[in-house]
Amino acid sequence: MRRRSFALFVILFAFWLVISSEADLQHVLAGVLIAGLTAWFWHDLVPRLPEVPSARELLRLGHYLVLLIVYVIQANIAVARTLLFSRHSVKPVFMVLDPGLNSHWGRILLATCITITPGTITVDIDPETGWFIVHALTEKTGIDLLYWRLIDKIRRLETRETEAKVPVSVQPEMKPPETEDQRGVTHAVDAGRIDGSDPRGACTGDYRTDSDRQAHFDQRHHE
Amino acid sequence: MIKWIAYACFLGSFLAFGLGTLGLFRFPDSYTRMHAVGMGDTLGVGLAVLGLLFLSPGWSVRIKLIVIMLLFWLINTTMTHLVAKAGLIHGVQPTKETKLRKG
Repeated sequence: MRRRSFALFVILFAFWLVISSEADLQHVLAGVLIAGLTAWFWHDLVPRLPEVPSARELLRLGHYLVLLIVYVIQANIAVARTLLFSRHSVKPVFMVLDPGLNSHWGRILLATCITITPGTITVDIDPETGWFIVHALTEKTGIDLLYWRLIDKIRRLETRETEAKVPVSVQPEMKPPETEDQRGVTHAVDAGRIDGSDPRGACTGDYRTDSDRQAHFDQRHHE
Repeated sequence: MIKWIAYACFLGSFLAFGLGTLGLFRFPDSYTRMHAVGMGDTLGVGLAVLGLLFLSPGWSVRIKLIVIMLLFWLINTTMTHLVAKAGLIHGVQPTKETKLRKG
């Protein structure tokens, strides 16, 4: 708790030094004062912050950011191609995604990464189930998202906080219970008032069977 | 030489913004348009900042530019999410081709 407060203070102070053009005594003193006051004022929120990362986790985070930039560039090219060559056949999807993340910051990180990648936007997160409602420009982008490498990466970063919890993706039963299933879908529909379609009917057009998906996950998990 | 690399970055940034604007006119509904604009907001801003990094005189300016870019990416994604969510809540209709899919 105290470590996290101190980390917050350091980050705020560094930000202060960056945006103030000089680093003389007056600026440093004012920075210490303001950063300290701000960190003290928000100490109620500190339990919601992630743990201070170890050096290894920082390395992982750096790798994660590099991967993210690569994905952003790829996604930009994909959206540009859709725009230039196949805009008449563009078929967007609203999809419900279950990344199996448990922590607040993990969800926020993933939501930000999904939105920052052109072609996919996080529209909503169900705080109870942790399901994401994502708008994807094409169905292919949506499906790629299901097997996104970054989701696994976040899950691995998360494991320190939620120890001993088996990630959802490797549990044998992939499908959530029927009632929750309907709940997730109606949530999207209620919010959007999407007319003229039976949501459950639209969602059954899944061309990957569960066993395919499971095999994919198993294969990836062994790698 | 560095100057020309920077100019190439600016050209790429211009292309990204241009394509984003084109998408604003070409795509059918507001949700898909958001994807198009996102292109300019990520690659466009990223390349512009990269070009400026090449041209900037010192590290104090460069760090500020990087901070600006990171803040831009954070705020931009948050706002995109908020606009999409507000649109959904207030019943902005997606195009008819839109499917619902359970992931």
